[in-house]
Formats: sequence, C-alpha cells, structure tokens
Amino acid sequence: MKWLDGWLDKTAENTARSISQKTSRRGFLGKVAGVVVGGAVTVPLLPVARSQENPAPQEEGDPASCEYWRYCAIDGFLCGCCGGSMNSCPPGTEMSPITWIGTCENPVDGKSYIISYNDCCGKSSCGNCLCQRNEGDRPVYNPRVSNDLNWCLGTSSNTYHCSTAIVIGAALDE
Amino acid sequence: MKRLILLTLIFASSAFGQVQPEPTGVIQTLPAPWPAHWIIAHDVAFFHMSDGKFYVLDAESDDAATRVKGIFNGAFIAQFIQATSRPEMYILETFRSRGSRGERTDVLTIYGKDSLAPIGEVVIPPKRASAMPTNYHLQLVDDEKLALIYNFTPATSVSVVDIVNREFLGEIPIPGCSLVYPMAGRAFASLCTDGSMMSVQLDENGEQASTARTGEFFDANDDPIMEKAAMIDGVAYFPTFLGRVVPVDLNGSEPEVGQEWSLLGDGDEGWRPGGIQVTERDSDGRMYVLMHPDGYEGSHKDPGTEVWVFDVANKRRVDRIELQLPAISMGMTNDDDPLLLVTNVNLELDIYAAKSGEYQRTLNNFAAETVLMLYGAE
Repeated sequence: MKWLDGWLDKTAENTARSISQKTSRRGFLGKVAGVVVGGAVTVPLLPVARSQENPAPQEEGDPASCEYWRYCAIDGFLCGCCGGSMNSCPPGTEMSPITWIGTCENPVDGKSYIISYNDCCGKSSCGNCLCQRNEGDRPVYNPRVSNDLNWCLGTSSNTYHCSTAIVIGAALDE
Repeated sequence: MKRLILLTLIFASSAFGQVQPEPTGVIQTLPAPWPAHWIIAHDVAFFHMSDGKFYVLDAESDDAATRVKGIFNGAFIAQFIQATSRPEMYILETFRSRGSRGERTDVLTIYGKDSLAPIGEVVIPPKRASAMPTNYHLQLVDDEKLALIYNFTPATSVSVVDIVNREFLGEIPIPGCSLVYPMAGRAFASLCTDGSMMSVQLDENGEQASTARTGEFFDANDDPIMEKAAMIDGVAYFPTFLGRVVPVDLNGSEPEVGQEWSLLGDGDEGWRPGGIQVTERDSDGRMYVLMHPDGYEGSHKDPGTEVWVFDVANKRRVDRIELQLPAISMGMTNDDDPLLLVTNVNLELDIYAAKSGEYQRTLNNFAAETVLMLYGAE
C-alpha cells in the first residue's frame, strides 16, 4: 500500500520525473496481466526469462534511496530501512505471498526486469524511507499492477509494515 | 488585623465577581444541519494507520483553535460517506483484536452528526478492500437504504448492508471487477479489468437479481480511465491518464457509455490529471479536475498546479484556477457558493472560492498529519 512519500519532500519539481522519463516501460505492461477471475487468482503469466538463462544482473546505486532502479513502481516504506532489505522482510514480520508487480529498467545493463513488490506484514507502518513512484502503476481495477492496494493478503495479519522489491526475472522484449 | 484583611478580600472578590464553580460533565453537541462551509478532513494517519481521524473544521474560520468543531475516528485507512437524507455518516473500518495482530473485525460504523459519537455499527465480513481512500469503496443506493462495500481478498465482491435496519444482507461476487458506483434504484456498477463495466440489480432482499455488462470501452493499461470519477446528475465522468474524459450514464437499468471528449485544448499538450481525489463537482454541475503540466508515465498521482473547471454539457473548459501551492487532493462544499478544498504539498489545507478561484486561507496547525480526502458537509 503505499502512497504518499513524495509529497512530503517532493513538490511539483518531481525528483522521480527525470528517472521515470528515462525508464518508461509502458509497453511491457500488457504482457503482465495476471487478473482476478471467478473469485480466484490466476497464476500470472509473467514474461520472465528465468535466472538460469540470465545471470544475476549487476546493480548500482543505493537501495535505501527512493531513486534506486528497482523502486520504479513502489509505494510504501522501503524494507531496507526497517530491518529488512530490498528483497527480505524485517524480523518478526510476514511476507505477503500475493503482490503487485512493476517493470523497471536496470541502468547498468539497460535491461528491464519484472519486480515483485511483496509487502511485509503484521506490524504497523515502519515509517522510515517512504517512497512513492508510479511508473506502470494502474488503477485498482487492474490490481496486479496497482500500488494503491494493501497487498498484505494471505498473511495472518493484514497490517502493512513495509515493501520489498524482488527481481523475479528479466522482462522479455515485445 | 489579619482577620480584617481576609474579610476584605472575600468581600472584594465576591463584589467584583470571581470565577464561579462550574458543572462537570458538559459535552458539546453540533448543530443540525452543519453550516455549509464546515468540512470533513480525513487524516488517514499513514504512519500509524489504526489511528486515522476525521476532523470537522469551519473552513471560513481564521482562528486555528476554534475552527476545529470535533473529531471522530476511522481505523486502518477508513472509507467514508455521508448520508444526505439523515444526519448520519458511515465509516468503513478494520480492527484487530491485538492492535496490529489478532482476529480481524471489519465494521461499518455509524456516526451521528449532532453527537459526533458512534451510534451504531454493522459487523461485515472481514474482506473490505484495504486500500488508499476513494469515493467508490463505500456507496449508498436506493434512497440511502442500502450501503454497498467493495471487498478485495483478492477475489472481488460487494457486501450489501441494510443501513436503515443496520443489518448485513449478503455478498455479491463481481469477478474481475472492482469498486462500487451507485446506480439508480437498487443497483450498482463496477469497473472491470477487461475494460468493461459490470452492473448488478439487487432484489428486495439485497440479493443479486440480474447482471449486465457493457462492451469494452477502455484499456486497463494503455491510457486507462482513472477510477476517481466525478459524479454529476448520475453520470460518472472518468478522466483518463492522458486527459480524455469518458462519461458513463448510471441513471438507467444498465450503464450507458457516452461519447468521450478531451480535457485538453490547443496549447494544452503535456497537461494531465493527477493526484488522489482528482475530480470534483459543484452544485451547478461543473466538473473540476486537478491538472499538472509536463506529464510522463507515472505522473498520474503527482501534485496538480492548477484546477481546470469544465462545463460537461458543452464539453468545454470554463475556468482555470492557478493554485498558490501544488495540491495532491481535492474536495468541495455542497452549497451554491462553494469552497474548493485542496490538500497542498505541505499537507496543509488550502481553501479557494470555487466560482472565482480566489484563494481564501490555509488551514493548518490542527494536528492532522496526512489529510488525503476532503468533503463538504451534506
């Protein structure tokens, strides 16, 4: 869930703007449509090249910064500022198995990757490193790519704590 | 001598008036109806969500202390709607038995406008969508007899509550669709991922009588419609990310998609709608849209620097209000001389005269932290 950030320190001069303009990925969105059908969740058919085909990418930047490349569609508190990391939850929380995704470009290799923003749940708002970027975010009627929803679903508590940004795989070109 | 002084003091104080003993236990109430320029500011308390608050404020007051008329609670990113036919407000809340953990209970809480106290509640299935606030998680239909609640587990459905008798009636599945838009009579519509709108007619028991589906009229990825529609005379006006407007008439038995038009005219290239509550409407049926220049992919929640005003019947812009500070969300009072209410980027409330666009005042320093939704008193 997640929203906010920016307005606390980002005004009309949106610091994320230049990044977003360089990394627009709208063309990929049509390929990542996992939808809720018939009261159940379909397994999303992600356009992912698995890791055995593509070795782990090199990355640069500060994972505690909202401008880090993986956070292009995140909206919430960065788990790396809450006792976890960009791909793990803080101690004593529970990772949601259901989530929303983004498609972000890694500036090091110029490739786009599918990012799973699994929320960490069961404790109240971490409150640290609030980050909101909405590249590829879509309204809640398109839930798989919507960051307005609290994705603490399928966990013992739906209380939202922070969000991770886990690389699922490389996005395939159109 | 001492006795004389004491007697003199007692005499003097009573003669010139001392602070008199006062009764305890006095609790204020509010007038009915509320003055037209009282507003409700929803502080979602993003940093401690279980403690959200709604502030009742006099938007015409320049006194930071006395402009606060009262406060009521809304737990865990509540959703909110006011009745117009009775002095009640409805808050969709989530509680857990151990605070951040334990058994979940979802409640539709009923507040009286005069007492500002909870006067009733309906326990509903613990499925209500937990999400940023919009106007379409909780709606009233059938002359405000039914309350409809959007559920997301992530299976989607709508809980139906008889709000007059304060009783949960049942749950309607809306597979692949989201949110509740009020339709005429005992009916609602929802937006679907496939680009259509689903409508549901309810029977006298609040159960599904029939459903219908429009054709696909929007793309959920490419220039999608924003779910934050302006409702004017039963028509939902959906702005799109890139600045089109798609009207859907909800006055009939099924939604009727109208002809789209554009918010943008010559020279408006790059302007886009953006923010939390992006649209509003006034008592004359004009539509207000929060707009920002130099739009880009992902700017649909960026602060707006202007509010554009549209005559929806003639599909043309009639005014352009330049905000003194960019704003993230909008509200409007419901009278004939309405106030435009915005949350600015400092998370203060700026008040404008809607018809002239003139800035009036800033409401701040009343302890709210993250006011994301604003409402005029009904």
